[in-house]
Amino acid sequence: MHPKNPKKRQADFQIIARWVNEGERVLDLGCGRGVLLEYLKQTKGVYGVGVDIDFDKVLSCVKRGVPVYQGDANEVLAGFQDNAFDRVIFSRTVEQFDAPDATLREGLRVGKRATVGFVNHGFWKNRLNKALWGRRTINEVYPNPWYASMPANPFPVVEFEDYCKLKNIEIGNRVYLAGDWRSECSLFPNMLAGYAIYDLASSC
Amino acid sequence: MNDSEQATVVSDGGEVGIVEYQDFVSGERFHFEAGGSIPELRLRYETYGHLNKAKDNAILICHALTGDHHCAGVYSLDERKTGWWNFMIGPGKPIDTSEYFVICSNALGGCQGSSGPGSINPETGKPYNLEFPKLTVRDMVRAQALLVDSLGIDRLHAVVGGSMGGMQTFQWAIDYPERVGRYIALACAARHNAQTIAFNDTGRQAIITDPGWQNGNYTADNGPDQGLAVARMMAHITYLSDVGMEHKFGRRRRASAKEHFDIEFEVESYLRYQGQSFVSRFDANSYLYLTKALDRFDLHDPESLDATLSAVTAPGLVVGFTSDWLYPPQGNRELVEALLRLGKDASYAELAMDYGHDSFLVRAPKLYDLMRRFLRR
Repeated sequence: MHPKNPKKRQADFQIIARWVNEGERVLDLGCGRGVLLEYLKQTKGVYGVGVDIDFDKVLSCVKRGVPVYQGDANEVLAGFQDNAFDRVIFSRTVEQFDAPDATLREGLRVGKRATVGFVNHGFWKNRLNKALWGRRTINEVYPNPWYASMPANPFPVVEFEDYCKLKNIEIGNRVYLAGDWRSECSLFPNMLAGYAIYDLASSC
Repeated sequence: MNDSEQATVVSDGGEVGIVEYQDFVSGERFHFEAGGSIPELRLRYETYGHLNKAKDNAILICHALTGDHHCAGVYSLDERKTGWWNFMIGPGKPIDTSEYFVICSNALGGCQGSSGPGSINPETGKPYNLEFPKLTVRDMVRAQALLVDSLGIDRLHAVVGGSMGGMQTFQWAIDYPERVGRYIALACAARHNAQTIAFNDTGRQAIITDPGWQNGNYTADNGPDQGLAVARMMAHITYLSDVGMEHKFGRRRRASAKEHFDIEFEVESYLRYQGQSFVSRFDANSYLYLTKALDRFDLHDPESLDATLSAVTAPGLVVGFTSDWLYPPQGNRELVEALLRLGKDASYAELAMDYGHDSFLVRAPKLYDLMRRFLRR
């Protein structure tokens, strides 16, 4: 699921690091090979724990010296008390949860804040692809054909923001990245943003 | 532990080769956690590799219930049977003896040369038998610490163990945080659940109700052999998985069965062999003492698991095995979840293997990678 281009793969690192405070306790759900946590450990001195279901990813985290828990995100969250972490990170994982609302809100229970990053499916190229060719998007981020992909529930920026409003989730910060995933953009994000990152807090 | 799994010599790297055991003897009275003492402590152990000048490259291996100090190498060139973790320990192997100095001792209470119910009490000249004090995992670990002291080692690079060895590993990390650099616990548990205690007690009853047991005062050629063999047969089933047994034996039969209750199925033959061979190498009273120590082990006690684990400072790796129903993945996860709640550096990995609780004693490249990387980090 991760893009092959490392620049894209790490597009959200600096933005997430901007929001993370020194020495925070961070839980990264769907941590992959632990690259983000390693980066946050080096730049912000965080206590970071990764969660991933895949053994090979876990092995890479062990190699990096990143504490990691092999298991299902929901099960892991259930084992933690309220506000056990300063931040729970969902980087390109929300679209894969069976019950995204329940998992996101569990994340906001266990973390004082949650960081959510996702590929904007409202991005014009993604729309065009569907409108012109009637085909699923296949690009660096989603390189595999449908039969070799995990079930995903893609969503656009506007629908995510609708959701936050509906569930009283407070959006503290948000950054939209353009199609190159590097330059920030703010105009018509649902159309022009290739990637979006949110810093959320539970408002109850 | 499975006798037949170790019978073949396969080389995945260099071999430690011919090894010898040594005896650590402390003349100081050893006091047990639950009361009682013995006048001298004896631990049989083996070491592989070389202790460096800084004395900071030692790895302590803790064996499982019926394992022993002989975890790598052979005692002579014509011996085919290697130590129980030979594929894991050696030059170039995951626990690399060209880098680390590896120590493994027979547990206190055991019967392979360390002080246990079967050893001679120097004060009476007779075996302790049931006079041997009640034993805990903490006692085993404290005895190991004395051995480590005697080798001039202040801090271990790592403590590694599976099953009962995993419990000892945790006890090390809790009782001697400043002496443990990192730890790896495989197929472990914070405590036995009711089912595990039930299996252990059924085994103990098989021994105790064997007329040969004689209140623990049996002699070498007149012991509770049948009871011990049955205890072992039953325990052995708990070390395997249904899938693994089905794969290994299925319903295969032997042609030789004549009488109604002769050995008919291959699985019967296998278990009876396991039972018989166990009797020749294990002491019934040791089995009683060790299983009781494991049943009583409880990291949730006296306050909570989190409170007990709060003493841990070393980074840890816990590995669960999907088909292990004796110390199931959930019990392994519970340990790591508590450590993470406490903000400790802890990791949990799970391996999909069909060998049940004994999976950690089976060659698995994924496990090699995991251990090698964690020991180096």
